[in-house]
Amino acid sequence: MAEVKVKPEVPDPLDVENRIIELCHQFPHGITDQVIQNEMPHTDAQQRAMAINRLLSMGQLDLLRSNAGLLYRVKDSQNTSKMKGSDNQEKLVYQIIEDAGNKGIWSRDIRYKSNLPLTEINKILKNLESKKLIKAVKSVAASKKKVYMLYNLQPDRSVTGGAWYSDQDFESEFVEVLNQQCFKFLQSKVELSMEDIETILNTLIYDGKVEMTIIAAKEGTVGSVDGQMKLYRAVNPIIQPTGLVRTPCGLCPVFDDCHEGGEISPSNCIYMTEWLEF
Amino acid sequence: MTQAEIKLCSLLLQEHFGEIVEKIGTYLVRTGGQPLRVIVSDTGTSLDQVKKALCVLIQHNLGTYQIQKRGFVEYSVQCSRVLCILRYPRYIYTAKTLYGDTGELIVEELLLNGKMPMSAVVTKVADRLTETMEDGKTMDYTEVSSTFVRLADTHFVQRCPGVPDASGPSDSAAPPAPTLVIDEKDMYSVPRLNLIGKGKRRRSCDDDDNGEHKAKKQKQDLESQEPPPDDGIYWQVNRDRFHQHFRDQAIVSAVANRMDQTSSEIVRTMLRMSEVTTSSNAAYTQPLSSNEIFRSLPAGYNIGKQVLDQYLTLLADDPLEFIGKSGDSGGGMYVVNLHKALASLATATLESIVQERFGSRCARIFRLLLRKKHLEQKQVEDFAMIPAKEAKDMLYKMLSENFVSLQEIPKTPDHAPSRTFYLYTVNVLASTRMLLHRCYKSVANLIERRQYETRENKRLLEKSQRVEAILASMQATGAEEVQLQEIEEMITAPERQQLESLKHTVNKIDASENQVDETIFLLASYVDSTVVAAAKKP
Repeated sequence: MAEVKVKPEVPDPLDVENRIIELCHQFPHGITDQVIQNEMPHTDAQQRAMAINRLLSMGQLDLLRSNAGLLYRVKDSQNTSKMKGSDNQEKLVYQIIEDAGNKGIWSRDIRYKSNLPLTEINKILKNLESKKLIKAVKSVAASKKKVYMLYNLQPDRSVTGGAWYSDQDFESEFVEVLNQQCFKFLQSKVELSMEDIETILNTLIYDGKVEMTIIAAKEGTVGSVDGQMKLYRAVNPIIQPTGLVRTPCGLCPVFDDCHEGGEISPSNCIYMTEWLEF
Repeated sequence: MTQAEIKLCSLLLQEHFGEIVEKIGTYLVRTGGQPLRVIVSDTGTSLDQVKKALCVLIQHNLGTYQIQKRGFVEYSVQCSRVLCILRYPRYIYTAKTLYGDTGELIVEELLLNGKMPMSAVVTKVADRLTETMEDGKTMDYTEVSSTFVRLADTHFVQRCPGVPDASGPSDSAAPPAPTLVIDEKDMYSVPRLNLIGKGKRRRSCDDDDNGEHKAKKQKQDLESQEPPPDDGIYWQVNRDRFHQHFRDQAIVSAVANRMDQTSSEIVRTMLRMSEVTTSSNAAYTQPLSSNEIFRSLPAGYNIGKQVLDQYLTLLADDPLEFIGKSGDSGGGMYVVNLHKALASLATATLESIVQERFGSRCARIFRLLLRKKHLEQKQVEDFAMIPAKEAKDMLYKMLSENFVSLQEIPKTPDHAPSRTFYLYTVNVLASTRMLLHRCYKSVANLIERRQYETRENKRLLEKSQRVEAILASMQATGAEEVQLQEIEEMITAPERQQLESLKHTVNKIDASENQVDETIFLLASYVDSTVVAAAKKP
């Protein structure tokens, strides 16, 4: 009997790559090295590493780190087509901006993270913007600052100021209207807990029309945060407008210049004359 | 003594006591304690006049004297006592609300005369009350005496320090001035007087035969010159007690505004129970158990014990912190936090002033700074939800008027402005003092305006007084209707109108002086309480 030598199947490198990509498609959240090994027991570590490296450099795989180790994820095919034309530097910058999520990142920070010179960064950013991969959003914190984020992301509240800003301008009228409405609402109801309008309610507190108490609430009741609940109640001021402001002197703009016998004196005070005729 | 206080003192002294007293009083307020000779030489008035002025000041409890170590006597006038003159109408009104017309007149007489013996007070008040009563009725002395005793029991009037009984050896040299002493327990004890009698009317034509007999008897009494049974025991108004009462009133009304009527009644009961046990400078009242409070509630309030407990818990938990819980015995021990209440009232006064002067948005920023203590410009804008430009404008305006101040925190040792934090903050005590000063100046302005208006219309006032005098005398001698009308027409219609408007002006200014005095009281009480608290700290 002739020995049948079973030639160890040398897996075709291309085959390995395709297989890996298939696996990635199967598990869109990412696969670990262990999974690849299980699926293709006949490949050894070196071949796997080679295949994965090739896929990464081609931009078809994403390398992520997780608690379990390294994860490989298939890249979005749309993106891959877009990035085909860019070079590594652009890819790096894109990666940094992507990591910043919906808060965006300032150009100086991009420079620190990538160690690229300023001129390069600007060129790259212009490039990416024209390709409609990223966009610049004006920050409400410092109006001269521009943060960059991915094109299709919604800017975070801290950048645009949330509900109180529209087009980067403070909506003071909106704030005033809500201020009054909340006050009226609270006047008719006794106890209420709210979350989204907490900042407006705080302004009512500073107006002295509303007071807040924190009570211990069970976890799970509506509006409770960390076992506490904030309750608001409309209150009256504790004193009536005080005596000093009922006289002209209390509100007089030239109070410090007023002496008997001077140009401005109590005897010829026009504010007093008006007030006395009232 | 600030300039404004001295000015106000001099105006008050002049209005109530005249030029000479004003000169001496202002001099003493400004320079502190001085011996007699120095006063005479510095003010340029004669010795006789100075002595009389000092008598007046001491009689009205505005001035005191002290024997110095080297053997001479120094006289001094206390500014705060003089400023209390502003508050006399409020004292009288309080006495009226608590003890009726009798109480009102007793306090008024004592304030007008400074110190008086009880018998004299009773006689005078009975006479005055009898005048206002219907014909034929008179006021009995016993009623007035009983009201007087009630005033003394609640400590609204107190005995003046008196000359001690001469018990020392006769060979020791007589001191240059007597040292007045008063025993603590005697301060409110009313001597046993057997005051029998009724008030008398001034007009003799109303007296019937009986009255004439009484009048004769009166004359005999005067001729016999019997000293009244309580000679040497003088009474004065206890200002501190009235101030305590005002403070309690303010706290109760604050609670009523913030919560409801019942809780304010509970607080009023607690304060009433602590009236005589707590000194006026204390930070807290004595702890009161909930059982005691329940027993002392006024009869009209039929709330159950549990309801009372609920109210007390609610009051103790309120963010105002007027009431605090100090223990659990007796159903829960509760105290009234007096110093904290005063601080809240003073802060509310500050907020009200900022609101009226600068607007409600500035008031919002002010309250925000009070809560958060120190804030940067940016944080102020964020919390108060006011656009940056406006917020900046408001902060600078308040800064220029010294309601807020800036605290610099440098990041680098060279204090470069670009590398320094600038935090806005409110210093409550400093702002209170500044506003107190402003109040004093305002009251001085009001008084000056009132005097100016009166001076302008002096001619007219004199004329109307003359006409009234003529009318009164003609009515007394029984003139005809036509003649009376003729005299009345001496004052023309526009003059009458001018008189009306003058009366209206003077009344308005008077009322406004009292209102500003309310503010002064709140702010001054707060400042005094912080001084006491600072003194107590080791």
